[in-house]
Amino acid sequence: MDVAQALEDLLEELASIQKDVSKLKTASVSGQALRKRVKETHKNWLPVAGVLEAGRIVDAAHLQGVSDAWAALVKLANNPNPKKQYKVLLKNIVATTESELLHKFIKGSAIQTIGDTLRKLVQPIGDADLLRYLEESIRCAEMNCVRASVVLAWCAVAHMIHKKLRSLGIATLNAQFASMKADQGLMFRAFKKDYVFTTEPDIQEAADAHLILLCRFLTYLDDTQYKHLKNALDLRNGCGHPTGYQPDPVKLQAYYADITQLVLLNPKFT
Amino acid sequence: MLNKLKADFDGILELVNKAPAPLQELAFKMILEQWFSANVAPKPVPSPPAPAPGVPGVPSGGAPDPVKPFLTANAITTAILEKVFNPLGPGAQLLASEIPGNGKANQMVNLSLLLCVKQALESGAFSCTLKELRELAVHYDCYDSSNFAATLKSNKNYYKPREKGADLELSGPGLKGAGELIKSIAAGE
Repeated sequence: MDVAQALEDLLEELASIQKDVSKLKTASVSGQALRKRVKETHKNWLPVAGVLEAGRIVDAAHLQGVSDAWAALVKLANNPNPKKQYKVLLKNIVATTESELLHKFIKGSAIQTIGDTLRKLVQPIGDADLLRYLEESIRCAEMNCVRASVVLAWCAVAHMIHKKLRSLGIATLNAQFASMKADQGLMFRAFKKDYVFTTEPDIQEAADAHLILLCRFLTYLDDTQYKHLKNALDLRNGCGHPTGYQPDPVKLQAYYADITQLVLLNPKFT
Repeated sequence: MLNKLKADFDGILELVNKAPAPLQELAFKMILEQWFSANVAPKPVPSPPAPAPGVPGVPSGGAPDPVKPFLTANAITTAILEKVFNPLGPGAQLLASEIPGNGKANQMVNLSLLLCVKQALESGAFSCTLKELRELAVHYDCYDSSNFAATLKSNKNYYKPREKGADLELSGPGLKGAGELIKSIAAGE
């Protein structure tokens, strides 16, 4: 069963019933035809509810709430009853079905397929160290831990950037940071930090924002690439600190596409 | 090279004049770009970077071959396309932070056009699944669940004939609509 399609069909029918109930000039819904339509629509709801219950994508309490509202609506339809009562129940069913069942189902089914999508994006990567971070990140995404997935995927980016910068040698790296500090170009003049590394692990202490700026300074990235990588770092920081932001699977996919293209599969970082 | 350009210039102008007036500037630019790429010897590169892996059929810096007729027919340059999608190949992502259009229905139709082009950049087929359309529509806040099917039905000229629930594939008007949309997004409209 295409659950999303079935829920859309239900909502379409419910919207039509709502309209017809509102159009009634009587205070109660007494016509057999409209009451029969309510019962027929309820019959279409039952198999959908069964699939949703088995799928465990949506919250069980919300599902139960909608099922209870349906039961009450069908009970109303057994006899002529005030249309006010219909309106309240219909409004409740439509709103909860849309926001808590259908939208959650769509996001949840995106989570179920996100692993395949992300694995396809990172499939050309051969570095075992990177793949360890990425696989863990993808497993987080598959468990609907999108923020954790973002943070872990950034570990792979940071790993690759550190590796590339380490390959320059400590002396060159110190010199390049000093040159960047002295550069009065639009992009670099705000950079005022003194970095003096003495050992390779010191690089890990540098802020990622400064390391990617150095990558721009060293022309591993052009302006646009830098801008996109900075956005990816901002997303990582938003996910790695206590904020109310909760990226969805679509955002995660775009993030993965960016980091693979800009760093993980960028020949300038190999 | 300058002499050759002088010799070819009248021919180029003649071609440009065949294009509709509003497109002449663009046509001139595209033809000149082609002329230069055909006539200027590439600079020797000491150590060319390795090609990006996993991007078969995608010329470096350009769109995949199956998309090129669509780009030409709609006068869309790579530079225009890059303002809407990145990269122009597998893993292509829609860059827009919001989908243009008046109301959810219009936005959702526009989104479907863009998703079909995105898919074409990946696989060459101008199609998209309803699952992907729903996911992106929720993301872009243009998902009108109770009118989803009705909206697609009332814009059915954009898509090839299909069964209910089947994937969307762009028709001729759909491709044209997608082209116009891409140009308007790139122009910041």
